[in-house]
Amino acid sequence: MASTVIGQPVPQVSALEKVQGRAVYAGDLAFPGMLHARVLRSPYAHARIRSVDVSAARALPGVKAVVTGADVPERRWGVAHKQQHVLAKGVVRFIGEEVAAVVATSESVANDAIDLINVDYEPLDALLNAGSAFDDDAPQVHAEGNLAHEIRIARGDVDAGFASADLIHEDVYSTQSQYPGYMEPMATVATVDGTGKLTVWTATQSVFLARQRLAEALDRPVSTIRVHQPAVGGGFGGKIVEERSSVIAAFLATVVDRPVRLGLSRLEDFQSGCFSVPTRIRLKMGMQNDGRIVAKEVDILAECGAYAGLAPEVMLVTAMRSDNMQRIENVRSRARLVYTHTMPRGAFRGFGGTQMLFALNSHLATMADKLGIDPVDLHRRNAIRTGDTSVHGWSIGSCGLPECLDQVTGAIGWSAKRERPETGGVLRRGIGMAAAMHVSGNRTMGNWDGSTVTLKVNEDGRAVILTAESDMGQGANTMLSQICAEELGIPLSHVTVLAPDTDTAPYALGSIASRVTVNAGHAMLKAAKQARDQILDAAAAKLGCDAADLSIVEGVVQSTVNDNLFAPLPEICRYHIFRHGGEGILVTATHDPRTVMMDKDHYGNIAPAYSFAAQAVEVEVDTETGQVQVVETWLSDDCGRAINPLAVHGQSNGAAVQAIGWALHEHLQFEDGRLMNGNLADYTMPTADALPRVNSSIVESNDPNGPLGAKGASETAILPGAPAIANAVYDAIGVRITDLPITPEKILAGLAALGEKNHASV
Amino acid sequence: MRRKTLSITVNGEPVEADVPANRLLSEFIREDLALTGTKRGCETGVCGACSVLVDGKALKSCLCLAAQADGASITTIEGLGSRDDLHPLQESFMACGGLQCGYCTPGFLIAAADLLARNPRPSDDEIRQGLSGNLCRCTGYQGIVDAIREASEKMNGH
Ligand code: FES
Ligand code: FES
Repeated sequence: MASTVIGQPVPQVSALEKVQGRAVYAGDLAFPGMLHARVLRSPYAHARIRSVDVSAARALPGVKAVVTGADVPERRWGVAHKQQHVLAKGVVRFIGEEVAAVVATSESVANDAIDLINVDYEPLDALLNAGSAFDDDAPQVHAEGNLAHEIRIARGDVDAGFASADLIHEDVYSTQSQYPGYMEPMATVATVDGTGKLTVWTATQSVFLARQRLAEALDRPVSTIRVHQPAVGGGFGGKIVEERSSVIAAFLATVVDRPVRLGLSRLEDFQSGCFSVPTRIRLKMGMQNDGRIVAKEVDILAECGAYAGLAPEVMLVTAMRSDNMQRIENVRSRARLVYTHTMPRGAFRGFGGTQMLFALNSHLATMADKLGIDPVDLHRRNAIRTGDTSVHGWSIGSCGLPECLDQVTGAIGWSAKRERPETGGVLRRGIGMAAAMHVSGNRTMGNWDGSTVTLKVNEDGRAVILTAESDMGQGANTMLSQICAEELGIPLSHVTVLAPDTDTAPYALGSIASRVTVNAGHAMLKAAKQARDQILDAAAAKLGCDAADLSIVEGVVQSTVNDNLFAPLPEICRYHIFRHGGEGILVTATHDPRTVMMDKDHYGNIAPAYSFAAQAVEVEVDTETGQVQVVETWLSDDCGRAINPLAVHGQSNGAAVQAIGWALHEHLQFEDGRLMNGNLADYTMPTADALPRVNSSIVESNDPNGPLGAKGASETAILPGAPAIANAVYDAIGVRITDLPITPEKILAGLAALGEKNHASV
Repeated sequence: MRRKTLSITVNGEPVEADVPANRLLSEFIREDLALTGTKRGCETGVCGACSVLVDGKALKSCLCLAAQADGASITTIEGLGSRDDLHPLQESFMACGGLQCGYCTPGFLIAAADLLARNPRPSDDEIRQGLSGNLCRCTGYQGIVDAIREASEKMNGH
C-alpha cells in the first residue's frame, strides 16, 4: 500500500501558524520589564581604541547600562581560532565591529545613548585586499600573521597526468561574497532568572552550538545557560555560530539581570552578519581527447575577513569536495585563507561548494568546447557512479547525477537548442548547464555526526517529538513528523515537534551540512519503531494475541489475522501506563552513521550519503545594455528519496533563485573597507517580477544509508546555478565571464574585446 | 515629542490611542497593539514584510506614521482570516508551498489580497508584477505564484 504520508507533498507542520502570522520569532517576544539594547560599531577598518567615554550615555534617563570591551570577559570565543571577545577589546579589525552596547527602557533611548558614547580611536593602516595579505609591508590583522589557514592535498601523480593529457587548460576564476539575505534580521531575547540562570531565545540553526559558544564567550558553565529556538526566519548558514549579536544580547542580560531584546535593523544585520567566503581560484586541468579528466590542479586564495570563524572548514570544501563528483585520480590543491580588515566571512548555504563549482563547471564547458564535445557528455563521461569510492575516499552509496543530467537537458530541449542557428541581433539567447554534488551530513564536526530523537506517545495515542535539530523553514520538523506518523500509523496532525530547547531536548548539532534528514530522520525512524513495538507488546497482552500479528492502522491497533481483534490506540497507550506503574511510552533513539573521519591528508568517507544536482538554463543577453535575463531554468536534485516533494521543490526553487542573485545581481560594494550598499534597496536580491518560472524536478536514487532512502536536499541545489548561467552567457555571446557577478559592465567589456579581436582578425 | 491621538479600526475593532508623533505605523502595530504577525525586514520600504491593508489597499507600514492612519480601517495578517475560517490565500499558501520560514508570509498574503481585490484573475506575469514590492529568500517565489493562482481560481468558482 502506498504511504499516505511519506513521499506526499504535505504542507509544513508550521504552515497554519505561519499563514496566520502567529509563528513567534525572537523579535516578537516580549517579557515584563524587558529592556532594549543597541550596539555601537567601529567606523574604522583598523584602529586602536585609546579610550571610551560613556559618561554622557550613562547619564541619559532611561539608560540602564553601557558596556564596552573593558567590561566583557577576557576569554575569547571562536570555532577553531579563539579570537573574538563579546565586544572589541583594545583594537577594532573591521568597520562595523562592536565596540560598546547600551541597554535602555526603549530602542529609541538606547539609540540616543549610543550617539553619546565617545570613542577615541587611533586609526591604523588596514589590509583591505586579500591579494596584498603577503606583501612585505602588509598591515597585520592578527599577531600570528595574515595567513589564517592553509590546506595542501595531493593524490595520484598529477605531473604524469598532465603529461598524458591531450588538452591542458588553465584559467583564474573569482567569486564574490554573498549576504545570506534571510528575511528575519538577527534577533535575540535574553534573560536571567532568580537563580542566575541565563535563558536565551535566539534565531539560530543550532541551539547546542549556540549554547556552547555562549558558555565560551561569557565564560560560564554550559548548564547555566538555556537556549531556545523560536521560529527562525531563514538562516542559509548565517545563523550557525558566526553572527555576534546573540552573544552580546546574552552578555547584556547578565549585566542588567533583566530581560533584554537585541533586534538588529537590516543595516546592522548587514554590518554584523556573516557573508560567504570570497575566493580567487586558479584551476588547471588536463584531459584526453575523449574528455576524460587526467589531472587537476587548483590554487585557492580565500578571504575570511577579520576573524576565521568557520571559514577554514568552508575553504576545505572549496579545495576538495567537487573532486569527488568525478572519476579522477590525480589531483593537487593548495588553498590559503587570509585575514583582512573587513567583516568576517564564513558559512553560507553550499558551504564553499558554490565557489569551486563555479570554476569547475565553467572550466569543463570551455574544455568541452575545445574538444568539440557536448558538455553534458563530458559530465557523463567523468561522473562518479553508485558504488565508487572517490579520490578522497568517499563511498558513493547512490549517485543520481546521470539521471539529473537527463532530466534537465530533456526538459530544456538541450539538443535542439544547441543546434539552433545563431540569429545575431540585439537580444541573443544561449543555454548552459552545470552539475554539482554535496554531502548529506559531515563527520568532521567533532568526529561524530549522530542525532538523537526522543519520542513520547501520550495516553491519547498522539506523539510529541523532542529534538534540537532545527527548522529554519526548510521543513525538518515536517520530515520528522511524517516519519513518525508513518511508523506509528497515526495522522500527521497527531504529531507535535517541540521547539529546540537545550534543557529538554537531547544533544544535537543542528541544521548544518544538510545532515538533518539523513541523520535525525534515521533516529526518528528508530525511535518510532521502538515506540510501536512497545505499543504492540502492550496491545498483545491486552488482546491476548501475538504482537507479531498486530499492526497500527489509522490510530487503531489491529490484528492482521483476526478482523475482530482490535483496539484504539488511546486505549493501548493508557493501558501501557496503568500496567507499567505509570510509565508511559517514552523512547530515545540515536543514529550515528558509520562514516570515517578524515585522516590528516583529508582522506575518509565523511558523510553517510552524497547528493547530486544538475541545472540547465537559458539566458537572453541584451548586447546593447549588457543585461542578462534568465528566461528558463530547470534544476534536478538527487535527494535519494523525497520524503516531502513539496519541501524538496521549495528548497530547489529557493536555492535556484539565490544562485541567480549571486550570479547576476548581488554584489557587496566596499569602499575603503566600508560596505556601501548594506541595505535591501541597493543590495539587490531577486524579486518575483525579475524571474521566470522556476522549475525543479527530483531524482530518487534511494541511498542505502539514508532513512527510507533519503538524502539531504537543501544545499546541493544552490551549487549549479551560477556556472550554468555563465555557460549560457558564453553560449549566447561568446564572452566567458570568469569573475562573478556577471554584470552588464563585464558583458559590454567582453563584447567590446570580442569585437576588437574579430576586427583584428579580419 | 508631541503626541497625537488616533482613532482607527484594526481588524474590525475600534482602537483609540495616544502615540508620539513620530511613531511608525509598523511599530504601533507590533509594539503597542502586540500584533506581531506584521514583520519588520528592512524598515525602509523595500521588503514588504510589514505590509498591512489600509482601507483595503496594501501599504508598507514602516513607511507610514501611525498618526497618518487616523480614521483608517486597517487589516493586519491577524485579521485576514481565522484558524477555523482561513482566507483562500492562506489555504493555498499552505498547500502550494507558498512559505518556508514564514517571515515574509504575512506581507505576501497582504500583497496578494490587495492584488486579487484589484485583479481577480491575474496572469502569472501580473501576479509576479503584483509581488514586485515583496522579498522572499526561501521559496524562489514559485510556490507563492502558484498559491496565488490557485486562490484566484478558487475564489472565482473554479
Ligand atoms: S519592513 Fe517595511 S518594507 Fe521592509
Ligand atoms: S518564506 Fe522565508 S523569506 Fe519567504
